[in-house]
Amino acid sequence: MSRISGLAAIALAALLATAACAKSEDSGDTPAPAGSAGQQVVQSAGATGPTCTLQSFGGQRFDLKKDVVGFSQSEKEANPFRIAETKSIKDEAAKLGIANLRVTNAQSQFAKQISDVQQLIAQGAKLLVIAPLNSDGWEPVLKQAAEKKIPIITIDRKINAQPCTDYLTFIGSDFYEQGKRAADQMIQALGGQGEVAILLGAPGNNVTTDRTKGFKDRIQEKAPGITISFEQTGEFTREKGQQVTEQLIQSRPGTKGVYAENDEMALGAVTALKGAGKSPGQVKIVSVDGTRAAVQGIVDGWLSAVVESNPRFGPLAFSTTQKFLDGEGIPATVIISDQEYTTANAKESLGNAY
Amino acid sequence: MAELAAAPRVWGGRARLLTWLQEYGVYASVLALLLFNVVFTPHFLEVANFRTQLIQVAPVVITSLGMALVIGTEGIDLSVGAVMALASAMVVLYLGYGAPVAIVAALIAGAAAGAAGGALVAYVGVQPIVATLALLVGIRGMANVLVPQLTEFRNPTLITLGSRSVLGLPLVVIVAAVLTVLVAFLIKRTTFGRQLVAVGGNRAASRLSGLPVRRVLITVYIISGLLAAVAGVLATSRLQASDPTSLGLLMELSAITAVVVGGTPLTGGRVRVLGTVMGALLIQLLQATLIKHNLPQSWTQMVQAVIILAAVYAARGRRA
Amino acid sequence: MATAVLEARGISKGFPGVLALDDVSFRLDAGQVHALVGENGAGKSTLIKVLTGVYRPDRGTLLLRDEPVTFDNPLAAQRAGISTIYQEVNLVPQMSLAHNLLLGREPRSRLGVTDTTQLYAEAERVMTRYGIRTDVRRPLRSLGMGTQQMVALARAVSIEARLVVMDEPTSALEPREVDTLFGVIADLRSEGISVIYVSHRLDELYRICDRVTVLRDGRVAHDGPLDELARVELVALMLGRDPAEIRRDGATKFTGEHTTTVGEPLVQARSVSCRPVLRDVSVQVRPGEVVGLGGLLGAGRSETAKAIAGALPVDAGTVTVAGQQVRRGSPAAAIRAGVSLVPEDRKAEGIVPTLSVRDNIALAALPQLSRSGVVSDARIDRIVDSFMRRLRIKAASPHQKVSELSGGNQQKVLLARSLATGAKVLLLDEPTRGIDVGAKAEVQALIDELAAEGLGVLLISSDLEELVEGADRVVVLRDGAVAGELSGDQVTEEAIMATIAATGETDG
Repeated sequence: MSRISGLAAIALAALLATAACAKSEDSGDTPAPAGSAGQQVVQSAGATGPTCTLQSFGGQRFDLKKDVVGFSQSEKEANPFRIAETKSIKDEAAKLGIANLRVTNAQSQFAKQISDVQQLIAQGAKLLVIAPLNSDGWEPVLKQAAEKKIPIITIDRKINAQPCTDYLTFIGSDFYEQGKRAADQMIQALGGQGEVAILLGAPGNNVTTDRTKGFKDRIQEKAPGITISFEQTGEFTREKGQQVTEQLIQSRPGTKGVYAENDEMALGAVTALKGAGKSPGQVKIVSVDGTRAAVQGIVDGWLSAVVESNPRFGPLAFSTTQKFLDGEGIPATVIISDQEYTTANAKESLGNAY
Repeated sequence: MAELAAAPRVWGGRARLLTWLQEYGVYASVLALLLFNVVFTPHFLEVANFRTQLIQVAPVVITSLGMALVIGTEGIDLSVGAVMALASAMVVLYLGYGAPVAIVAALIAGAAAGAAGGALVAYVGVQPIVATLALLVGIRGMANVLVPQLTEFRNPTLITLGSRSVLGLPLVVIVAAVLTVLVAFLIKRTTFGRQLVAVGGNRAASRLSGLPVRRVLITVYIISGLLAAVAGVLATSRLQASDPTSLGLLMELSAITAVVVGGTPLTGGRVRVLGTVMGALLIQLLQATLIKHNLPQSWTQMVQAVIILAAVYAARGRRA
Repeated sequence: MATAVLEARGISKGFPGVLALDDVSFRLDAGQVHALVGENGAGKSTLIKVLTGVYRPDRGTLLLRDEPVTFDNPLAAQRAGISTIYQEVNLVPQMSLAHNLLLGREPRSRLGVTDTTQLYAEAERVMTRYGIRTDVRRPLRSLGMGTQQMVALARAVSIEARLVVMDEPTSALEPREVDTLFGVIADLRSEGISVIYVSHRLDELYRICDRVTVLRDGRVAHDGPLDELARVELVALMLGRDPAEIRRDGATKFTGEHTTTVGEPLVQARSVSCRPVLRDVSVQVRPGEVVGLGGLLGAGRSETAKAIAGALPVDAGTVTVAGQQVRRGSPAAAIRAGVSLVPEDRKAEGIVPTLSVRDNIALAALPQLSRSGVVSDARIDRIVDSFMRRLRIKAASPHQKVSELSGGNQQKVLLARSLATGAKVLLLDEPTRGIDVGAKAEVQALIDELAAEGLGVLLISSDLEELVEGADRVVVLRDGAVAGELSGDQVTEEAIMATIAATGETDG
């Protein structure tokens, strides 16, 4: 046993040594991480169904600025979306003068997220903003929060529970709508004609399902001249996006457009096109997410358009809360508005991309 | 009496079939799949297509070679995919010193990871599957800590490695081919190679015959780690980015399939180098066929599972 | 006659290629300790497995208290009151002694959970009966082998056993622990519980057993009360010799005379110990000499050979070759010094089944046959060819898989492997067991030939005839120690058996 821990210690020491003398590539012209979403217009885009008021929820007024506010992030801030999401919450809190913001990160472990939120409740949080890792399994937390009448706002993912009873509201993007908007961009880029391939996201994921359905529905409705001849999963990763696109352009040279359901796969497709000796714009690429690298891809001419999936929930989350506290009715679902990046605005908007 | 006499003959026929399948099944399958594609897949008989398949299969071939050596000693190395990710992380971490230094750093990291697994197996006596499973988790985590998010690079040397061709052959394919020849030479012609298969075939006998059993074992895992690191560097250079979260995921499964399908028994004592390369090609062609015909890739995993079962069954039938 | 606890009638059991039990009958009375003995391959373990439900016999019947019975599996036998304890204790090492002892029968409190207070009290009570005074809450693995063995025994008996099978229960025990065990066995006997006792230690057999069944080649060679059987007779029965009618100059190919040089010993083992299997064993072999190692199974013959070959971790003693001390525990060092072992178990420790005849022969000599890590195929082909011809190895080609050869040819391949290293001393552990008559004669003739060329040979054989005719000197081992040494005219089957049978305490 001690020998094993000895080996482990050596390995760890090696790792530390490794990190200590590392020197990564000079990041000269890489733009700094996205700034706050100050300029971003965020507002409630859709309000459907019955609304929820402070009275019907049964809660008590509290002071957003003075009382404890908890934010529970699901995954570690390793991809641009999560980084921007957490930053947006923190920045908006600072801007509004919310003094007691507590932020936790579950590191992709659901059990940790549950205990994180329970900790926040124990610390006396009066509002909980949660980016849930899962949609299910929240009963213990919901029960505790309901007992203390703490409003919960979930962002970017819904949980399976009763709005206005178990939680206040859900703020998120409409993935189906994103797919439709991507289709509009594709139709425009291709002039309504040609073969299109889809790089699907990870199978069995609701984001994949919605973004696919929205895209297909819109194409069918608006552009009979476009045929979807190919759909293969790229598992939301750049490497798979590259590999599948390599196969695609070789065996289906007639493909005019590629719809990638996230930016990483689109960038993988770009690498594949470059490798096959294509020039920018020869194959039109439209994707969803709005990361900095993808928007740069539009500037460089490789991508035609990117539909944003807005991670900047801070302003909307706190303004919704304020309305709630002011006695206004809050809908069960609040849709965050997603921007679009096209050849027309990419250059100016680059600084806004996350 | 007649029945009794007949039974072994029937069994003998089946055993012969199984033997044939294990020896040549992979060649037959690759050939069959090629023929199918030539007939049914548009644009298959194009140079660009073969380039694409060879480029994509190169990292799989390289990791599978290392896996074949490990399996030859009756071991298994589940950490190869994670080691690819670690190598990828090391490359971007050290790119500031230039591509050669970064690549060497990645290879050293791979060899070190292999040495850790090998030490656990050879000196501590941990089961290979347990030791390398622990490594899989630990090393993937380490890679994620070192490079938490996908990081692009623009180093021209490194990009060239992944995209340039020499005499019409992509560099990554040349590297895979050279390594295949080297590993074949190692197995067929070196003392180490002969000792490796003996250790896998009968460890007690090897020990009694004075073979340096532990040294052979640790070396095998070091080679596997090193080869996985080479694959990781090539994959990274091709992607023009380091992505330790997803690079090499499930690579161990592909490598094991390639090795087993190629006729190397999981029980060790034998290493089939060309068969392993063919096994990797078979998986690649299978996946390409599905993609080209727009069929769900999840079928690949199912077919892979069936192939592994068939190969293991063929091996079992032969031993019985 | 009293009712037998368990009786086997006309049991036969075959495996592909072997008839392990051939019409064996066996009867065990209540309250009896019954010794079951026999050399390797005699059929002991097969018989035990038939009695305990592991195997089903091909023919014959089992009777439990005079009622015919069939056991579909070991559990069925256990339910019928037959418990087995093996050499390796099969308990849960991480759990406490008490939990192991009462596993599955823990006392429960009213809530249905284990009542630990009562559990520990009960365990303590049981263990005291077995002469064990230790903290029953300690995990089993932290206790000595003897204690573990006793827990296994106590557990076996406490499951209402009427019959306990003990397979070499003392092999890992200290003398004091053996005494405790025997005390427990005596208690069991007085309670009417029967014991089948498997061991090769004559002293033990004579101390506690009432009856003995000797198996040989799958048949019953003898069955009767133990106190009517002289030790030397028992040894003769086990080894398959009848002391009354031993043929002189039999069928072996040994010439019986070597030009033994009276030179310095080639290899010399001094006071080699590896407890508990070897104690202070000293053996030496001179050039041109064949030294036999005699003794029963488990006497330490193979262990002695392995200790000399560096394949056994020894606690004390030295091995020198031509005056130079050889590094301990390294077969490679022993081979470099010129000592090579041909192990007893060809399959498990000898051949590498996946490799060809050629690669098997060259295996141990690889370092000598390569230059800077690259093997020389030409040199290998030459050496393989010469040994295949000299030893008349019958194979389709050097590239045929060794696993496809007959046992005799496999044995010759192993001999060739040892000779290819340029060995000066060969340690041959049962070199003719399980091979056909022709190959046997060839191997015997080869041993003579090699000795005549000046090699030293240490020959282990359970075949007394082979030992007597092949060896110039015979060192007899008993219970891991040298019991005596015979040379010249003293080397006779009677003398060897008498040395084996002599009552202990000769190791001083």
